[in-house]
Amino acid sequence: MNSLDIAKIILVLIGAPILGCLLAGIDRRLTARLQGRVGPPLLQPYYDVMKLFQKDNMVVNESQNLYVVIYVVFVILSLLMLVFDADILMIVFVYTVSSVALIVGGMSTGSPYARIGSSREIMAILSYEPILILYALAIYLLTGTFKLSALDNVSSPLLMYIPLIFISMLFVMNIKFKKSPFDYSTSHHAHQELVKGMLTEYSGPGLAGIEIGHFYEYVFLLGLMFLFWKVNIIIGLLIALIAFLFVIIMDNITARVYWQWMLKVSWTILLIISVVNVLYLYVAKIKLI
Amino acid sequence: MLKTTIMLLITAPILFSFLFLALGKSLYKFLAWAFFIVGAVSSIMLVLDGTGKVEVAGSSFALLENIVLILEVLVILFVFYVSAKHKSWPTLALIAIQTVIAAYSYMAVAKVESVSFNIDQFSQVMILIVNIIGTAIILFATGYMDHYEKHRHLDRQKTFFFTMSFFLAAMNGLVMVDTLGWLYLFWEITTLCSFVLIAYNQDEESITNAFRALALNLIGGITFSLAIILLSVKLDISNLSAIGTSATAAAVALPVVLLCIAGFAKSAQMPFQSWLLGAMVAPTPVSALLHSSTMVNAGVFLIVKLVPAFANTPLGIAIAIYGSFTFVMCSALALSQRNAKRVLAYSTIANLGLIIASAGIGSPLAVAAAIMLIIFHAISKCLLFLCTGEIEHTIGSRDIEDMSGLIKKAPLLTMLISLGMISMLLPPFGVLLTKWVSMEVASTNPIVSIFLILGSALTTVYYVKWLGTILSSSMDKNAVHHLKPETYFPLSFLGLCIVVTSILVFTIYDYFIKPQVATLLNIVPTVSGQGGQFTSEIGAFAYAVIFIVFALAILIYFATKNMFTPRPAGYYMCGENNLEKDKLMFRNGLGSYDKSSVSNIYLQNIFGENKLTTLGYVISILLIVVALVEVVVL
Repeated sequence: MNSLDIAKIILVLIGAPILGCLLAGIDRRLTARLQGRVGPPLLQPYYDVMKLFQKDNMVVNESQNLYVVIYVVFVILSLLMLVFDADILMIVFVYTVSSVALIVGGMSTGSPYARIGSSREIMAILSYEPILILYALAIYLLTGTFKLSALDNVSSPLLMYIPLIFISMLFVMNIKFKKSPFDYSTSHHAHQELVKGMLTEYSGPGLAGIEIGHFYEYVFLLGLMFLFWKVNIIIGLLIALIAFLFVIIMDNITARVYWQWMLKVSWTILLIISVVNVLYLYVAKIKLI
Repeated sequence: MLKTTIMLLITAPILFSFLFLALGKSLYKFLAWAFFIVGAVSSIMLVLDGTGKVEVAGSSFALLENIVLILEVLVILFVFYVSAKHKSWPTLALIAIQTVIAAYSYMAVAKVESVSFNIDQFSQVMILIVNIIGTAIILFATGYMDHYEKHRHLDRQKTFFFTMSFFLAAMNGLVMVDTLGWLYLFWEITTLCSFVLIAYNQDEESITNAFRALALNLIGGITFSLAIILLSVKLDISNLSAIGTSATAAAVALPVVLLCIAGFAKSAQMPFQSWLLGAMVAPTPVSALLHSSTMVNAGVFLIVKLVPAFANTPLGIAIAIYGSFTFVMCSALALSQRNAKRVLAYSTIANLGLIIASAGIGSPLAVAAAIMLIIFHAISKCLLFLCTGEIEHTIGSRDIEDMSGLIKKAPLLTMLISLGMISMLLPPFGVLLTKWVSMEVASTNPIVSIFLILGSALTTVYYVKWLGTILSSSMDKNAVHHLKPETYFPLSFLGLCIVVTSILVFTIYDYFIKPQVATLLNIVPTVSGQGGQFTSEIGAFAYAVIFIVFALAILIYFATKNMFTPRPAGYYMCGENNLEKDKLMFRNGLGSYDKSSVSNIYLQNIFGENKLTTLGYVISILLIVVALVEVVVL
């Protein structure tokens, strides 16, 4: 590990939450404008976190905050692995650790609202995980390796070859950002929520930790979208931005439906188009390297 | 030296089984401890003795061969006797067929002059699993069975411990012997032992299920003996290790398929899965033994040994698709189950399917993954089963929903079973590492990869659901919890094994797996293990980093814990709760009080047994038929 790597790690540790916080701020502003409100200041998410840290640490269960720490640490790890071009399949598995930690954390409180939210989040895993792994498989088929470092030697963007997976991934973004119509486990909109779902019993510093985790997670998720056009950084960032705007717009024009609907959509339409895309790569034997 | 150890490994469990028969119940505890130590020491001795082949010929062989013949006749007579006694016509018909085949093979098959034992690294690994995990299960059983029998008014512990120990002897023989005729005897003895153990309760359900297990395994036995005859008459092969090396793949294809079918039956793959599900009626130590260290492992052991005969052939592809199909189907079925033992049973079948799929892919790395999964799966599954048994004694139920709040009732037990579950689905533990390897190597075959991807998502779901339930805190505390050393020692020992084997994964790979793959396929997988990474040509699994990060997370938690003093509070129940006696009570619309209860999602109407089982039967039988046709026609 050389000094450049260390600088990169520090940049990610400090830069990612700032970026994520700004994204969350933009989200709130845009949502407010779409709803005809003025909205909070851009830095409102930051003020929220700071305030939460000053609150009492109210817990139902002595160990409930352990799961928050695991969640945050593993989101950071998966982001770092993404930055360091690690094995994409591995990244997906590490990211699963963080999702599982949050689910178990919700269930560990024993609140009925949290348990409902957590069961729904488990169904969300069932909906998005196959698509994430199919995305990894597609990267393997195109580059001959699961290591993301191979993408640096590729001359044309992935999006050209896996457009259907890109569409599926847009919906995965929607599920993972926990935005309407897929915000079953815990929602940003009070009007369509069973109390606060999975996070009902989290407050004060615990909730602040989860918010910080979300900031990192936003950056991580958009990083996955960035990979679709990694050959050109500007277009790549643009793709990530488009994905982000897509999520916000979807959030504001749709309402929560049954969670069964999410499962149906993902295991029929999304999974099928992704599989078709992957089969196309097999049949056409497209290799970028 | 090697020869002595081999004999010791077969005779010591037999000796212990007779000691269990001879001595009183009060001494079982000490016997089991002694057995555990003897098992551990003798299996480590075998590893230290190194690999090699041992031949027994001459007069001692003649004596042994006679014993084998007598045992074979006894096995057949015993099956005839029990089938007639319980009027089980299917098994009677099957054993009649088997007798005809056995008589034919006695006359037609050339007599072997010697018996050979083939100790390779795979046998060593299996011996370690059988003798360390298997004896740990017996040790656990000494603390478990009294309570179990008291509830059911049974007194059959002598039969129980005798059969359990004898089972280990047969299993030891099975993984070491190379001569097919003997292998077949050990194979049949394990079938018989499992029959006796499943019928342990002696009620109608257990006897029906035991006969189902017997019948399905006898089908496997028949295909096994047919394969022996074909190999011997047509190709003059009488050793397992000769199948892949001394003839062309095309010539041995039919016997190999027959042997694989025997393996599928033993490993309870679809369409044979019903015997393993029915085997749950037996006491939990039996399930643990069948699922982790013995019975089902014999099937995958045989299939992995046969890899040279089908690697990179159309048959290999068919086997890979078949295995991955079982993996996804059984993972889906596990999702719909509330009964913890049933979830585990489906999970076992699914993981064995994954092992078979990896073996079918047949690349060096895939075969390495298959063997590694056998090791890690055995340890984790054993822990999960034994913990489930202990939970059943603690809370009186094996329904997952009843386990909510277990962390408050039995913290140590909950931690152990959580470790078992986490090791089945999250990095950096061994099972996930092997799953990662199999997914990466399967990427050459689209059907297998897609099945593996779907199955892996389903696996995550059914374990997380259960994990969340046991870790959820509830306010009621009414459980009797006894911390007995003979039950908690094996549990903690297995938990430790999970962590240690996962940390030492590369050492295990280097010492056992790499040379084994080299013997099977003559190529070594290009894998390196530097810097705590398991690196292949197509990916890298950084297990050390994840262990460190896990430790870091726990460290951060304890470091920051006191920065924010926790203030305990009750649940938020929308202002209508918090009665003195139960904090989960709330006021309903009629003004009286109800208790809130939430259950997990099981998706019964999508993944339920009545929806999927028939489909599973149809497709799996079709796949086997396709493999057979492929072999016969091509």
